[in-house]
Amino acid sequence: MNVGDELEPLTHVVTRADIRAYAEAGGDRNPLHLDDDVARAAGFDGVIAHGMFTMGHMASCVVAWAGAGAFVERISAQFRAPVRAGETIVAGGRVKAIDDDRVTVEAWVELARDGQTRDGQTRDDQTEWPVRKGEVVVRLAGPVGTGVDASG
Amino acid sequence: MNPDAEGTTYPYVPFVVEPARVAAFREVVGQADGVPPTFVTAAEFSVMPLVIADPNLGLDFAKVVHGSQEYVYERPLVEGETLTVRTRIGSIRERAGAGFLTLVTELRDADDALVCTARSLMVERA
Repeated sequence: MNVGDELEPLTHVVTRADIRAYAEAGGDRNPLHLDDDVARAAGFDGVIAHGMFTMGHMASCVVAWAGAGAFVERISAQFRAPVRAGETIVAGGRVKAIDDDRVTVEAWVELARDGQTRDGQTRDDQTEWPVRKGEVVVRLAGPVGTGVDASG
Repeated sequence: MNPDAEGTTYPYVPFVVEPARVAAFREVVGQADGVPPTFVTAAEFSVMPLVIADPNLGLDFAKVVHGSQEYVYERPLVEGETLTVRTRIGSIRERAGAGFLTLVTELRDADDALVCTARSLMVERA
C-alpha cells in the first residue's frame, strides 16, 4: 500500500425505496426525505436522500477496502449538496497517510450524471464535484504491507 | 432557534445495538458484515424527539438538513450491547437567516466507559 492509492469505488443508484429503508434503519423520519410536498416547501424539487445514507456508502467503501478485522477510529464528512432520488452516487477514496497499522483515507461521494451537471451544463468528466467530502482513520488488522491489497 | 439553549443536556436514553437493525442498516448502506461506522446515527436519532420537542430550543425540524457529521470511536460497537446516549447542544449559531446547531452525543457502556463521540451539525434553512 502506498500514499495516493485509490480505493475501489462503490456505486449505487439511489431509489425512493432506499430512502424509506434508510429512514427506518437510521431512525431519521424527517418528512424532507419522505414527502415531496414538504421537500418542495423547503426549496428542493422533490425528496432528497439523507446525508447519512450517502455517508454510509462512503464508510462502506472504506470498510470493504480495509478488510476483515479493521477498526474505524474516526470518520467525518461534510454534506455539501443534496442528492435526489434517482441519482447515482459513487463513493471513493484515496490513501492520504500511513502510520504503521493506522491509515488515513481521504474519502468522498460524487454523483454520476452522464456528463451533466446540476444546471444541465455538459462537462468533460462523468462525475460531479464531491457532494460528500470526508476523512476516515482506520486501523488495519495487521501492519501495512503484509497482504493488504490496496486495489481492494 | 433560541441561542440561549446552547449547553442544554438532554435526558440520557438507553440504546440497544440490535442485531436485526444493524443488519437492516448494513443492507441499506452496502456493507457486507460488522457494525457500520455510521450506525451510531441511530443512537443519535433516538434522542432527536427530545431535541425536536424542546420548546426552549424551537427547532423547525422540517427545515433541517444535515451539514456535517463526525464519529470518534474508542472501540467498535458490539451487537447486542446496551449503551447510554448522552446528547448536549454544543453550539447554536445564526448566519444569513439560517441556524446552525451542533449536537454532541456520547455513547457510554455499562461500565460508564466512553465508546463513541458523535458531532452532528444540523442546519435549519432560512
